[in-house]
Amino acid sequence: MLYRASHLWARIEVFLAATFAALITGLILLNVVTRSTGNAIYWVDEAAIYAMVWMCFLAASAAIHYRSTIAVTVVNEFVPAPVRYWMERGVDVVIFMFACLMVWICLRWFMPLQLMEAGWDIKAFQGNTFNFIYAEPTNTLGIKKVWVWLVMPVFTLGALLHTTANLFHPGHAAQVEAAE
Amino acid sequence: MTPLIFIVLLFASVPIALVLALTALWYIHESGNTVLYDSFAQQAFAGVENYGLLAIPLFILTGELMNEGGMTQRLVQAARVFVGGFRGGLAYINLLANMFMAAIIGSAASQIAVMSRAMVPAMTKEGYDPGFAAATTAAGGLLAPVIPPSMLFVIYGVLAQLPIGDLFIAGIIPGLIMAGSFFIVIALIGLVKDFPKGEWMTLPVALRALRDALPAFLIPIAIVGGILFGIATPTESAAVASLIALAVGWGIYREIKPADLGQLFVRTATNSSLVIFMIAAANVFGWVVIYEELPQKLAAFLATVTSDPFTFLLIVNVCLLFVGMLIDGIAALILITPILLPIAMNTYDINPYQFGVVISLNLVLGLLTPPVGVGLYIASAMSGVKPFTIFAALWPFLLAVTVVLLVLSYFPILSTALI
Amino acid sequence: KDFRLGLITPPPHVWTKAAQAFGDELAEKSGGAHSVTVFPARQLGNEAQMLQQLQTGALDMAFMTVAEVSNRVPNMGAFYAPYLANDMSHAAAILRSDTAKGMLEVLPQEAGVVGVGYGSAGMRQILSRGEVSSAADLAGVKLRITPFDPILDFYNLLGSAPTPMPLPAVYDALANGQVDAIDMDVELINVLKYYEHADTLLISNHMMFPMVGLISARVYAGMSAEDKAMVSELMAKHVDTTLDAYIEKSPAWTEKLNTVGINVHTVDAAYFGDVMGKWEEIWAAKAPSLPDLRAAADATK
Ligand code: NA
Ligand code: NA
Repeated sequence: MLYRASHLWARIEVFLAATFAALITGLILLNVVTRSTGNAIYWVDEAAIYAMVWMCFLAASAAIHYRSTIAVTVVNEFVPAPVRYWMERGVDVVIFMFACLMVWICLRWFMPLQLMEAGWDIKAFQGNTFNFIYAEPTNTLGIKKVWVWLVMPVFTLGALLHTTANLFHPGHAAQVEAAE
Repeated sequence: MTPLIFIVLLFASVPIALVLALTALWYIHESGNTVLYDSFAQQAFAGVENYGLLAIPLFILTGELMNEGGMTQRLVQAARVFVGGFRGGLAYINLLANMFMAAIIGSAASQIAVMSRAMVPAMTKEGYDPGFAAATTAAGGLLAPVIPPSMLFVIYGVLAQLPIGDLFIAGIIPGLIMAGSFFIVIALIGLVKDFPKGEWMTLPVALRALRDALPAFLIPIAIVGGILFGIATPTESAAVASLIALAVGWGIYREIKPADLGQLFVRTATNSSLVIFMIAAANVFGWVVIYEELPQKLAAFLATVTSDPFTFLLIVNVCLLFVGMLIDGIAALILITPILLPIAMNTYDINPYQFGVVISLNLVLGLLTPPVGVGLYIASAMSGVKPFTIFAALWPFLLAVTVVLLVLSYFPILSTALI
Repeated sequence: KDFRLGLITPPPHVWTKAAQAFGDELAEKSGGAHSVTVFPARQLGNEAQMLQQLQTGALDMAFMTVAEVSNRVPNMGAFYAPYLANDMSHAAAILRSDTAKGMLEVLPQEAGVVGVGYGSAGMRQILSRGEVSSAADLAGVKLRITPFDPILDFYNLLGSAPTPMPLPAVYDALANGQVDAIDMDVELINVLKYYEHADTLLISNHMMFPMVGLISARVYAGMSAEDKAMVSELMAKHVDTTLDAYIEKSPAWTEKLNTVGINVHTVDAAYFGDVMGKWEEIWAAKAPSLPDLRAAADATK
């Protein structure tokens, strides 16, 4: 059940990441066209960069599900199969711990509880916490940066889902192709 | 304690990106600067927030389109015309095709990914040792960041505030020297091992191969032209190249349809994210390391050891070889350029172009050295050959790069002649 | 305490030297109780990232362009009023005025940083690949800018196509015609040799480009009253030295550009016609301090 949820979410992540990859290409080409015709668009570069950030973290979370992240496997190749099995379970646990740490880090960063306590009043929240992330602007897009930063909690929750599912669903490190 | 954690996690085959992130987290814990936890995720995000990195997915997309659209294969055929008849012909073809590709692709990681998929099965089928096939391909991939365009030079230029176009030009001679040294390595290996025999093409076949490859050569022309005539930045020229690759593969070779694009974008997203996510992790790692002033201390120490530029470059090379073993090229370049470049320029009067070429080449070498050798693992993942097997066949190439590195360190003119 | 101070300029730059001098004097005046480690050349990230680190307290101090701060505190955009200052000396006088200093008061609440005083990176000029005989020639021209609103509005009003671009990309972009002109200061036009690919330099001095010395508000709150006074006073003193450095060096840089074989036109506010008035209209609403700053500028002429 958990594993199927993880699998479904990984597919959505990969689909979105591919969409962002297409968006990057489109935006950069748009830049070439508009600039060569003298109509340079101010916000395209920044939009392309954020599309790349979203692509990267969404696909990185999915890579945890597919166990397709790049790792040093020198030792794995030399140990007997049972040892290798337990090493891989150990790695699953380490990744699970990483996801938990990321949850804690995102809570420290976004401070959702304190924001709620401040009655969603950002000025009051800033005064209480010295946390200015909800006021941070983007350079050229005209939206608050926090909308773009949201990919970090999305990545974190995705990673937590995938790694929890992997804990109960041992599997061998797959090739990169698995992500396809 | 921190180095121990790093090594244990690394060899336990924890994903490299997470090794870097977890080591950084542990280091923060040990240093007591707990305020860094608050900026941790933000710094990881900031590591990806970089215009230059956009070139990575675009180069990878171009590579995928060239593969699927039949361009890689035709470039390989064109290479066959020139070197196919030698004993070990396919090994030379691999290198020559890698040179062509290097003029299109700017990142060793993506070139290794593309070429491993194309060349290793072909070489294995003709009877080459798979380890040697993968090693030749991985070594050929090292040409990507030296022969322009080059992502490493883009990033170095950004850090050193040098014109990127000039840096590209500075890479031409070193790139040719490096390719030459690889040809020699293959020839020497051929004396020891018995390579499969090659065959020269007949004139009509050769002409047809060259004609077929002609549209594929549009891509390097478009990239160089795009940059020279001011239509595009290096990143944008990668996007233009992908568009041309699609046009050629769809319109001329008819091997690809727009409907295939979905799968290509999936591969582009997943493969480029593998690399970019590591850069994000390396960025937090580097940020913590710089925050604790480790590189500064190293640099101060270096300056007390010698006053001779060549000796300094030798020391830098040795240190960077170790850095390159542990940290990926781009991340390492970002880490060390701001620290070492001022020392090189101010204390030793070293030309910044030469310095850029030398450290870039050095860090590229690190892509193929264990334990952290991204290129090695990509070659392994794409070809299905185990990393250790590849490394066992790779060392002659690494030795050749090291010699080239020494030559480039000793003769600044090789890097500055064309500028 | 060992304070960490970040900036984007390379080690030999005026700002970095001022930061070092500040650190040396702080160590001396505090009897070794405090010291400053300078992180030059974007080692800790770009200005936006450093500002975010100041907010969390991960970074203690920074010397930063006011442009970056004005993205969060639009009132600071008032400094970029075209022809607020006539030249570098006048710009220094304005930045030293009480009005300018008063504008720093809201920074702790609005941006999480304490601003101690201003420095500078000189005045903005326009360097063009093609001949520019009047402001009308700049219409439709692809012109590189640093991305922040006041300068964007200025060039939009002028009818140019402002193109945001990070500094390292500028040389190539100018060389290959990706942009037709750049908004730049005389120092970098010299040092980075942008004139090699240009025909015309407008010594327009159309905008000042101030810098501000910042301390993390979180870190500042944790300091003793004496430390607060000593640190801010010394930092203010050393960022202020950059103003004198630019007053002293700007004429020589400008002079040198007269000898590199490009056309140099010295132009004034009249050259840009009604752009100033329209800019003022837009920014009067965004930057309430604008009239006061104009008054301070008139008073220091
Ligand atoms: Na290349
Ligand atoms: Na390595």
